[in-house]
Amino acid sequence: MPAYILRRLLYSLFVLWGAATIVFVAIRVVPGDPALLMLGSDATPDQLAALRARLQLNEPLPVQYARFLGQVAVLDFGTSLRLSQPAAQVIGERLPATVELALTAMVIALLLSFPLGIFGALHRGGAVDSVVSTVSLLGQAVPNFWLGIMLILLFARELRLLPSAGSGSWQSFVLPSVTLALSLIGVLTRLVRSGMLEVLAEDYVRTARAKGLTRVAVLARHALPNMLIPVITVVGLQLGHLLGGTVIVETVFGWPGIGRLLVDAIGNRDYPLVQAAIIVITGGFICINFLVDLSYGYLDPRIRLA
Amino acid sequence: MTDTPMTPLAATLRRRVFLRGALAGGAVLLLAACQSASPAAAPTAAATTAAATTAPTSAAKPSAPAGSLIVSLPGKLVTPDPHGSFGADRGTLTAARQIFDSLTVRDATSGEIKPGLATSWKTPDPTTWEFTLRPNVQFHDGTPVTSADVKASLERIVAQKGPLAPLWADVATIDTPDNGTLILKTKTPVGTVLTSASLLLVGPAGKIDQDGFFTRPIGSGPFRLTSWTPDAQMVLDANPNHWAGAPGVASLTFKDIPEIAARVTALQTGEINFTWGLPPDQLPPLRTDNKLAFDTVPAFANFFIWFGAKREPFTDKRVRQAMWHALDLDGMVKGLLQGVGTRSQAPIPPTVFGFAAQTPYAYDPAKAKQLLAEAGKPNGFETGLLWSPGNAGPQDRELAQAMISAWNAIGVKVKSVEEERAQWLKDLLALNWDMDFQTNSVITGDADFALRRLYTSAANRTGYANPELDKVLNDAAATLDQKQRQDLYAQANKIIWDDAVGIFPFDIAENYIRRTNVQGFTPDPTQTPTFNKITITA
Repeated sequence: MPAYILRRLLYSLFVLWGAATIVFVAIRVVPGDPALLMLGSDATPDQLAALRARLQLNEPLPVQYARFLGQVAVLDFGTSLRLSQPAAQVIGERLPATVELALTAMVIALLLSFPLGIFGALHRGGAVDSVVSTVSLLGQAVPNFWLGIMLILLFARELRLLPSAGSGSWQSFVLPSVTLALSLIGVLTRLVRSGMLEVLAEDYVRTARAKGLTRVAVLARHALPNMLIPVITVVGLQLGHLLGGTVIVETVFGWPGIGRLLVDAIGNRDYPLVQAAIIVITGGFICINFLVDLSYGYLDPRIRLA
Repeated sequence: MTDTPMTPLAATLRRRVFLRGALAGGAVLLLAACQSASPAAAPTAAATTAAATTAPTSAAKPSAPAGSLIVSLPGKLVTPDPHGSFGADRGTLTAARQIFDSLTVRDATSGEIKPGLATSWKTPDPTTWEFTLRPNVQFHDGTPVTSADVKASLERIVAQKGPLAPLWADVATIDTPDNGTLILKTKTPVGTVLTSASLLLVGPAGKIDQDGFFTRPIGSGPFRLTSWTPDAQMVLDANPNHWAGAPGVASLTFKDIPEIAARVTALQTGEINFTWGLPPDQLPPLRTDNKLAFDTVPAFANFFIWFGAKREPFTDKRVRQAMWHALDLDGMVKGLLQGVGTRSQAPIPPTVFGFAAQTPYAYDPAKAKQLLAEAGKPNGFETGLLWSPGNAGPQDRELAQAMISAWNAIGVKVKSVEEERAQWLKDLLALNWDMDFQTNSVITGDADFALRRLYTSAANRTGYANPELDKVLNDAAATLDQKQRQDLYAQANKIIWDDAVGIFPFDIAENYIRRTNVQGFTPDPTQTPTFNKITITA
């Protein structure tokens, strides 16, 4: 196990280095000059040259790259060109909003998709199953920005039950997290339903039934744990996505998350901030994946992590 | 998992423990989510609370004003720093004008320059400006505002090299003989000192250059920062000690609502009670809402389409004029800019100092074709229109499409060259375009900021070079006699208009929209209004 963790750690570092390198190159390949964007259209060539020098944009790329890697190695992400604040601090201020929203959406999705999926599987082919399948398909298909605006129009403008934008109160969580949750519910319900159907056809479930166990006991003790692995995998991937920020939902609902920060940073060619955000998001993804992999071993003792 | 394999029983146990743990964990997460969503725990760690504003909120005082003004800005509020690269940004200026005081104040209605932090000024000679500061003005932390603070703020504007720096390019020395006097010497006479001083927002010397100062800024303005969560909201409370009197509301919040539908909804439901800058298609239903009131004012902003004067065939004035005659501008105002635009009468909007009305270019495709034929292009030509969607003003896409089809009708095939802002800015300054479509805001309200900044051969923003125009504009800038400046700008307006350096199609009108219980607002052509006179009735 320690050997496994060590190997995973090294592998993670490799992935982080890859992500850092790709973002370093990509943001510089895109046309656009951070100094010009900062000074605006009235900048003189002298002023631009001076600012480029101050921001160390004139140095050869390999030198910039080496310095960047050296800084990242000691967790120094540099200073945001635009905001003149440490990039890590800017991200640290935004991350909580994104994490809160992502977790709320995921919890809502889990609480609804399990009962729906199991119910669908148990009543396979019935009217309820068709409804569940259709709804989950819709949940996956409906675009976020459309759903978000429709929810605002209905719950804020017509019914006046919830705020149309902003963060900071429990009411303001409802619409953005439901918007995010709906597509998750779509994915997870279908996954739970198909996993459940597969497991229910297994011999050990028939055995459990033959033993005279109650339906609930069969489901909870024998069926459910055995169909969790693919679900956990998808939950992990989706959570990783959510933690990367959900630009559209954040924009529609005026949510101060990391997605909007990243998009603005890209628009401003704020190199250090873009790099830091991508590294943090990648790191989050790696951590979640690692936890998912660890959970396999607990869920299914046949899986050995070595 | 470990080097010693677990017994099946142990594994099962641990698995069960884990599953139970996971279930419990989920419940905790849910609880945590509800917890953090409770109002008490908001606005989370992201909020930067100003340590300096420890004074009791004015709401607690018996005589203090009541009511909260909740404003949604038309754009993103990146920073309240009025000295740096965002110095001309409307969101930045709007926030900064509440927190900081300026040296002079431009009256929103009359356009006159009135006292601000400076109560009076004199010009003993054409290159010397002596400002007397208002006595007993304090920053929000209680320290007095002195001439050293004004000097430091001005020096910071120049050092930051942002969009406001050119306003002070001719300053030679800044002296502070005593705390209440500031003496500004310029290299040549500068006719725009007083209007520029209305954008000189003053922060405390020694602090404004500290990292992070503008995340919790301290000024002397009518409102004090309470908290700011970027991309969410900035909360300010009333400064009861402000020299112009305490504001009429207890608090002012700038709430960021980027999505238009959500912003309109928030206005209709009363979650916000003030906004502006909405696109024209959103306005009709709001006009009929009896809970809302409109204040419409001609803004300091206009659209233009520049010609690359060094690019064939736009080197020929007749071609440029032909392009103008091809456009049905009245039709576009009616069809596309209803309520947010009017037809331009000069290269600068009528509310700007130095405006002089010109003869309109009539919509006349036949004349346009004739001019093209005279210029040797009877069959038209192919060219490109550079613009940055979303950055070229209200209805930019619709306007670009309408113009391109109108030009097509006189035989000129125009390709729409759409670029992201970063790329557009680069190409714009490199003069890498045939035509450029954009808006411009004359933030100072003085023709100098639009005309000399953009149309002298030294500025070289279009490739157009005209020594006669250069002289007129430089003379106007170096004249202190405002009547004489007005006459010079009248000449400049005419040269730019008649030479068709660009097409000047529309001036922008700003619609400030408020809940009807919001009273006492003065619409401001700068599109960066102040809120200290506003009161809210129950």
